Amino acid sequence: MTDINDRLSDILSAVLNIDKDQITDDLRRKDFEAWDSMAHLMIISEIENVFEMFFEDEEVVDIWTVGDLKRILSQKLGN
Amino acid sequence: MTESSEQLEQVLGRVRLDPTYLNLWSTFKKIQQLDLRPPDDEKNSLRLAVIGSSTLEPLAACIDVKSRLLGLHVSTFVGGFNTYRQEVLDSKSDLHRSNPDVVVLAVDAWSILDKDFITTFARMSEQELIDKAHELVESVRSVARALEESTSALILVNDFITPVFSPLGIVDSKQRMGLKSFFALANEGLHDAFSQSSRVFVVNLDSIASDFGKSRVINWNTWYRGSIPFSEEFTPVLADEYLRYVRALKGRARKCIVLDLDNTLWGGIIGEDGIEGIKLGTVSPGIEYLDFQRVLLSLYNRGVILAICSKNNYDDAIRVLKEHPHQILREEHFAAMRINWQDKASNIEALAKEINIGLDSMVFIDDNPVERAQVAQAHPEVLVVDMPKNPRLYRETLENLKVFDVLSLTKEDMARGEMYASKRKRSQLEQSATSIEDFLRTLDLKVRIKEVDDFDTPRAVQLIGKTNQFNLTTRRYSDAEVRQFRESRDVAVYTMAVTDRFGDEGVVGVAIVRKSPEEWLIDSFLMSCRVIGRSVETAMLAKIVKDAKTAGISKIKGEYIPTKKNAPARDLYERHGFGSRIEDGEVTTWTLDLETGTVEVPEWIELIEE
Repeated sequence: MTDINDRLSDILSAVLNIDKDQITDDLRRKDFEAWDSMAHLMIISEIENVFEMFFEDEEVVDIWTVGDLKRILSQKLGN
Repeated sequence: MTESSEQLEQVLGRVRLDPTYLNLWSTFKKIQQLDLRPPDDEKNSLRLAVIGSSTLEPLAACIDVKSRLLGLHVSTFVGGFNTYRQEVLDSKSDLHRSNPDVVVLAVDAWSILDKDFITTFARMSEQELIDKAHELVESVRSVARALEESTSALILVNDFITPVFSPLGIVDSKQRMGLKSFFALANEGLHDAFSQSSRVFVVNLDSIASDFGKSRVINWNTWYRGSIPFSEEFTPVLADEYLRYVRALKGRARKCIVLDLDNTLWGGIIGEDGIEGIKLGTVSPGIEYLDFQRVLLSLYNRGVILAICSKNNYDDAIRVLKEHPHQILREEHFAAMRINWQDKASNIEALAKEINIGLDSMVFIDDNPVERAQVAQAHPEVLVVDMPKNPRLYRETLENLKVFDVLSLTKEDMARGEMYASKRKRSQLEQSATSIEDFLRTLDLKVRIKEVDDFDTPRAVQLIGKTNQFNLTTRRYSDAEVRQFRESRDVAVYTMAVTDRFGDEGVVGVAIVRKSPEEWLIDSFLMSCRVIGRSVETAMLAKIVKDAKTAGISKIKGEYIPTKKNAPARDLYERHGFGSRIEDGEVTTWTLDLETGTVEVPEWIELIEE
């Protein structure tokens, strides 16, 4: 799981241009300007490429925080 | 260095090492936050606009950052989703306000074709399909044409990707108009529409996509989710294609290839294996090197300069160039050679000096990674090619470099290799001649001077635009102005072409003379630095004097305007007997009275008039 979290924070830190230690589970799209719709698309497609998986559109719009992302990621990778 | 430009260097340093899609995007976003001032010189800045039928931010980001890696200051405008037509046609749009110097127009064929095109395709008649192909071309052509008229930008128009799938299956090619021939027709129409334009270039997206693999060009998830047209892997590759145009436009293209010999131009080591032992012939091992040399020669034949930098005994190496039956590149193809035992970094510096080009115009090809590392470290400006160990991949590596692009090719550009090689032989002769006149006498100089014709006009405009050193007034007339001069009876535009026993230099001089009934005024007089020191300027002046006398003119005036670079031209009129010097501001005017004075063609030059 730490490996997954590491790779996830690599992606978030690159797309959102923030230091890894600033990435917390309650970081929210709405409160963070850099996390606009284009950045959201980037994050989703990078996760899809890195973890070789695919998100449904409903799942994409339901991700609001880093915590949401981690939860759905571990769910999907667990299946 | 300001704090922001230091930060810029840091982020660019990281992305240079690992230019993935994610890193390019991240860098793009980071740079947007820095406060960077545009440079004074236009050649160091790029105003990019990327517009089209889909979400193009990622592509624009890759072009932006890759251009910055060339050292350019970039400002990038990205058009809205499928709003390119309005942006182009509205002269007050953000696109026009950004005053771009490069515009990428990326329009997908399927955004123009009817939604039911593919469903009804198999039932459409040949004529219907031809009409549809023309509509498709016209739709893009009209936008590109409007851009050409309303901006001064270089316009890069994507051609259409021919789909791999056809509803007709294997009989697609049996139809008078299958889906493949439909797209071929449209692409041909697009290329034809702009073949004569000097500012609109049709980018071969279809062949770039084929080379990459059409099945990997699109990421269907991001396409349906956000109308992003190209996949994460393909976007940086496509950006590289636009970078070729950026490099050519901004003077960042390479001009010269410096080559090692042993295990680079042939297999084995000449000093050990001998001329019979090296691998160079029509079967493998050996044929790989012939094919590699053929591609080098193909580049030479369109104007890329070749040079040698090899650790060898000079006589051993030169014998291969002269005597080996299979060797493709001969002595005459090289503008300069350093075959000795000195370190390659200093040899390359000496080569740059001798050829008279910058290190940033050079590419270095050597099989030895240690030599490459030394050169790369000493001269970061030189492009050091990471050659594969396997010589069978040399040719492909060279073909994939794509750094020698120019936006137009004149006859003189194409013959550049010959000119530099003749320069080398000429300077060998000069060193052995006892006096400069002896030297000139042995050259068999022939000078052809005539009024400019259709054929020479592009070259004359090019010389007017770029000649700095031997240029008396440095007046930069445009193509349109030169054409006006040609039509006017009061102006004569002369061109001068020079040949000698070592080669044809092509058109190297231009003079513009303004005629009035009493006197002629030499408005412009310029000559490429390639022919300085061969007294051909005297021949051009003599020709003008002769024509003036024939026309019954009594006085010729010549003007000189000093610049930082044109000192070599300063004493032209004085040297040729012009007098009564008058200074008016920066312009100095000299006069030659034709009743008492004249200018003769030097005896060692044959003047050919037309």
